[in-house]
Amino acid sequence: MARVSLGSAWGKGNIVHTVEGRPIPELPDLARMHRERSDRIQEQLHAQGLAGLVLLGTSAVSYATGAAQPGADSARAGLFRPVAVVVTGEPAPHLFTPYPEGAPGDLPPDHVHPPAFPDLDEGAAALATAVSELIPRGRIGIDELPHPLRAALAHRDVVSAGSVMVPVKLRKTADELACIRIAQRCNELAMCDVMPLLRPGVRQSTLTATFLDRLHELGDVSNGIDPIWQPMPASVAAGPWTTHGDIAFPTGSTGEVLRSGDVIWCDTGIHYEGYASDFGRTWLVGAEPTARQRAQYERWQDVTDAVLALCKPGVTALDLDRGAIAANGGTKPWIEHFYLSHAVGTDSAEMPLIGTDLGETFDEQQVLAPGMILVLEPVIWEDGYGGYRAEDIYAVTDDG
Amino acid sequence: MTGLLAQQESGQVDMARLRADRRRRLFDAMAAHGLDALVLGRAADVAFASGARQLWTAGARPFGPGCVVVASTGHVHLLSTWDEGVPPEIGHDDLFGLKWNPANLLGSLSAIPGIEQARRVGTDSYSPGFEQFLAAVAPDAEIVDAGPALGEARSAKSEDEVALIERAVAVAEAALSAMDDAVEPGATERDLMRAYLAAISRLGCMQPPTEGVACATPRSGPVTLRRLTSERQLGPGQLVVLNPSALYAGYEGGLGRTVAVGEVSPAAARLAARAREVLDAAIDRCRAGARGADLRSDDAAVIAYGLGLGVEAPVIGADVGGDAEQRSGMVLSVQAWVAEEGVGGVLQRDAVHVVDGTPRVLSRYRSELV
Repeated sequence: MARVSLGSAWGKGNIVHTVEGRPIPELPDLARMHRERSDRIQEQLHAQGLAGLVLLGTSAVSYATGAAQPGADSARAGLFRPVAVVVTGEPAPHLFTPYPEGAPGDLPPDHVHPPAFPDLDEGAAALATAVSELIPRGRIGIDELPHPLRAALAHRDVVSAGSVMVPVKLRKTADELACIRIAQRCNELAMCDVMPLLRPGVRQSTLTATFLDRLHELGDVSNGIDPIWQPMPASVAAGPWTTHGDIAFPTGSTGEVLRSGDVIWCDTGIHYEGYASDFGRTWLVGAEPTARQRAQYERWQDVTDAVLALCKPGVTALDLDRGAIAANGGTKPWIEHFYLSHAVGTDSAEMPLIGTDLGETFDEQQVLAPGMILVLEPVIWEDGYGGYRAEDIYAVTDDG
Repeated sequence: MTGLLAQQESGQVDMARLRADRRRRLFDAMAAHGLDALVLGRAADVAFASGARQLWTAGARPFGPGCVVVASTGHVHLLSTWDEGVPPEIGHDDLFGLKWNPANLLGSLSAIPGIEQARRVGTDSYSPGFEQFLAAVAPDAEIVDAGPALGEARSAKSEDEVALIERAVAVAEAALSAMDDAVEPGATERDLMRAYLAAISRLGCMQPPTEGVACATPRSGPVTLRRLTSERQLGPGQLVVLNPSALYAGYEGGLGRTVAVGEVSPAAARLAARAREVLDAAIDRCRAGARGADLRSDDAAVIAYGLGLGVEAPVIGADVGGDAEQRSGMVLSVQAWVAEEGVGGVLQRDAVHVVDGTPRVLSRYRSELV
């Protein structure tokens, strides 16, 4: 057993899984996690020759500062946003936030500032002034420039923050893995309460209501995506039209009434300490699986097993693509617009992305390393007979 | 009580008419601002331009093209791999699928008729490197801020849009009622949030504009309005802010009230009266031509922001939005917050439709302390 399924109960057996020599703890040491993330950012800032970062995106701010904010839709999260300013050589980030109660305890109080409104002219001007005090000179990495901020920082040399943020997030620390495992556990427990409701006549909205209610009973988590309970057609042609001729998924939930025999692809995701979970399964409404459906599941399991058997440090993403295709009889077992696997972190889909349209050369250059997350989501599709989709989260550890 | 309420389709509002009106306003604003094309990334702007039901995700993401509007052809092109949830006026040829490879995205965008000739392209945000990316699609284009044009198109609501906001307010009122029922000694803020989430999703409005809907205000020490919900238990006499919002067919409505756990102390009642008085005065000043500064008060913290497809400009607070001009047709969320050490805090919030003359309050829920 060379890998940890973060989806399963932890503390199983006596196997100790390590990442860079450190066991994955049951509970994260948050102060240590914040410190190590900060160290990684600083290391990259030096390597890239940047004087600092200005971060506006929810997941980037969460990673850089550990700051919490209420789960919110994108319009509110954009207008009332926490902003992080990271200064090269200064380990503690500066946080400008409308939610000071969400600033982590390990952040020095003089690094917590009143909210910035970078999307408004006067807010952007004030933030630019603060940035020029904190980072008086040099090149700045930034993830988004709303036009008011773009104008206010016009005199500065700005580049994408991606050159720092992508590499620092690629390999998780043991504490980050613990966060993902807790997020996934809460997500799974909430889904356990939803599953018994799956009978003919239930509405998607009722499933969502139960999911959200149970989720927030479980702990200090927030919902990340509108829960998906999508009835799948038997064939691509019977489903929505698509640009690529492949399956449409996920198309989002309404108040649709589910019917007997419906094949439901569910997909939910939540956040714990900023870290995303990802739960995907195929459920049947009021029916037992047919022999064909069982065979689809078995094929899915074969593909998953084949990919997992390959997983260890040093293997390339392209090896996994090829292993999955071989186990599916030569056909690509994933949806055209998605991937065989993605990672979760403070984003619900982040690098490594495996099997995307970035292509074979890209995948060949992605080499598995300890701390990387693989959310394997093979899809087995038999046009005319529907398909099976499920996803599980795995971490690459020191020995596999 | 369950239903299809959150869909883009609604029995009471002609959604096709609403979309046609929004599209007309958008193209008018583009013409007025000399914009040949728009490249939109923010979900609310994409929803405004396209009318498509998009998958809801929490949080703010960096800028990327989600919708392209071309003035010369009158077409709205949408990033969507399928036609489910896409209104009929957007044809299959107007859709471009999800790509991870920027080169492939570039290919999709380059194929959009009329984009190559665009000279002025407005975007609703920007990311470093986007100028180089766009240059490959529209070589002669200058990138400008689409904010003023979008604000012009979006801020003054049609009657149909106001009707949807009012529907959202009604759902928020239902949630407020459910939260109020859950207020009792020993209940936690999170219990109130659960009551809120269950109420809105059972009514078909499954996406919370924010999960920050309940705050048990402290009876000792400094009193601040917290938005992050905790396990804090409610105690007798405590003042509890209930501040729900809802999205109906994408439109946001909401309101805030403060209730006491059990008995209302005379000091709490005085605080509540002060909050209401400040809010009523601020609401009365929500008139076409008024400035943001007109809403401010020395007696309470007044905050206002626009409501439409989620929250939108203007944002008016102590340090921002003083010069923001109110226009007829805007809908504002206006709130007053007062706090006193040893007593707690009171928040009152209403949704207000700015019209020519006396403002129309869209929220109707009893405003006295319970």
